Amino acid sequence: MTAWSYYIATLTVYFGVNVLSALSLNLQFGFAGVVNFGYIIFQAVGAYFAAVVVLGPSGGTFQQYIFGARLPFPVELLVATAAGAGLSLLIGLFSLRNIRRDYQAAILLILSLIATQVVQGYVPLFNGSNGVTGIPRPFFSLPPTLQDYQWAYAGWVLVLCAAVYVLVSWLSRSPWGRALRAMRDQEEAATSLGLNVTALRLQVFVIGGAIAGLSGGLLVEYIGAWSPDAWGYAETFVIFTAIFVGGVGNYRGAVLGVLLVPIIFLELPRFLPQVGYPGLMDSLEWVAIGAIWMLCLYVRPQGILPEKRKLARRQDAADATPKSIVKRVEAT
Amino acid sequence: MSLLAARDVSVAYGGVHAVDGVSLDLSAGEALGLIGPNGAGKSSLLAGLGGQVRLAGGSITLDGDEIGGLPAFKRARRGITRTFQMTSEFARMTVFENLVVAGHGAHGAALRNVVLRRRETRLAEQEIARLAWSILDRFEMSQAADLYGAELSGGQRRLVEIMRCLMREPKVLLLDEPMVGVAPHLVEKLITDLRSIQGDGIALVIVEHALEVVQELCGRVVVMALGRSLASGTFDAVVADPSVQAAYVG
Repeated sequence: MTAWSYYIATLTVYFGVNVLSALSLNLQFGFAGVVNFGYIIFQAVGAYFAAVVVLGPSGGTFQQYIFGARLPFPVELLVATAAGAGLSLLIGLFSLRNIRRDYQAAILLILSLIATQVVQGYVPLFNGSNGVTGIPRPFFSLPPTLQDYQWAYAGWVLVLCAAVYVLVSWLSRSPWGRALRAMRDQEEAATSLGLNVTALRLQVFVIGGAIAGLSGGLLVEYIGAWSPDAWGYAETFVIFTAIFVGGVGNYRGAVLGVLLVPIIFLELPRFLPQVGYPGLMDSLEWVAIGAIWMLCLYVRPQGILPEKRKLARRQDAADATPKSIVKRVEAT
Repeated sequence: MSLLAARDVSVAYGGVHAVDGVSLDLSAGEALGLIGPNGAGKSSLLAGLGGQVRLAGGSITLDGDEIGGLPAFKRARRGITRTFQMTSEFARMTVFENLVVAGHGAHGAALRNVVLRRRETRLAEQEIARLAWSILDRFEMSQAADLYGAELSGGQRRLVEIMRCLMREPKVLLLDEPMVGVAPHLVEKLITDLRSIQGDGIALVIVEHALEVVQELCGRVVVMALGRSLASGTFDAVVADPSVQAAYVG
């Protein structure tokens, strides 16, 4: 029973972290059309900073890292958020200029590959492939049992998820969010109507990066270790698949997608009998992720919960489109 | 003084000059037709005026202010908006949203206003919504307010593009082949709508292959060929010009 409780609590934390990622990517991609194939590096940088600013200076320890400090909770999460935002600003300034959207996506993917190689290959920077371990957990000694701690932490992650959900929903409903959708649908037309799409793209990229940094910080404090291997580019595609399955441009859809793809679908094989040589099931999971994504694009590109139509309201509503017409059009 | 004045405007793609030293003047409420064979540089000139491409040379002034170096969004804020050869409606936004997103002040599109000036943003939104409804009423599109851009007919899409431009209360409206994709029976309505816009004092620059539309709408016509201005004047005068006939017939 304890093992199950631990497992479910851990799964809840992973669910929360993935929900934050899906909210962030859905804001960037679903609403703004920014294809951030390098998403994972912004999460990883948040995780790294959240780790080293509580680990203390690295001098004299068995680990080599930079920016070591000993900051109190929750400053490390603020640092993680700022790190994600800062890196996004830095990368966004040169990768999100006036170039085609597919090129932007390619640049971001390449950057995430380069980042992993640099981190793994140069030990003095981030301790190489070993990463950093022994990251202290906030208020670890406070709850009476480990189990209580896990659940309290899972609750804390879900609270932050709810707060971010409210924030991104509010932003997306605002006139700023509407401008993002115009940019997504027709960038050149949006520009010709007075919208500064470069600024909009950079803003949404930085906000998404901040959420990514926060999610990384939350995860690393839970697992107590940071390793570059855990932040591979393929993780980004799991979240993209979740968004496509759940619903592009719909935050409830994004949450549903996280529940279906990284939680249920990727956890299910644990309960199935092993087939073939060790590692085959893991490899097949990645194949299946790609297949699900393609299937979703073919069968239902708008996802299970599509973007909601925002009906216009008018004081004298007599001229509004009759609901019957809207329903008829939606059915086609 | 001209509302819009272009002097020796050049647009180049790599080493190829699509527009080579074209000049034109436009007064408020005037409709200017740009005609010429394919590849003449009409759409490139429109892109140069609208800021979609960087000028390789020349200058553009609006109300006497130089705008040739400004990016497209700043030119739009100064009063130059445009439609595109391929319809450019925001497909996954309703007709109403297509209009309000272009709201005259673009107040709410600024993140700082959404976060820090919520009351002003709300008031600006109400103002923008009122303007949007009045434009929808004027063009008899209120019934389609909640339809997505992708759900509209070709003619409705053109109309949405034009209505959207009007939301910015422009001084100059650049129209790139506005009749393409419009059902023949709706062409006359669109011409009437454009006339009414012209009547508001908005200057129109129209690139159009349907010469009867240009003849009906435009008081003055510029004929382009190989990136240069070949002739200008009334429609009847330019079509009678032998050099224009040679450019068209070859």
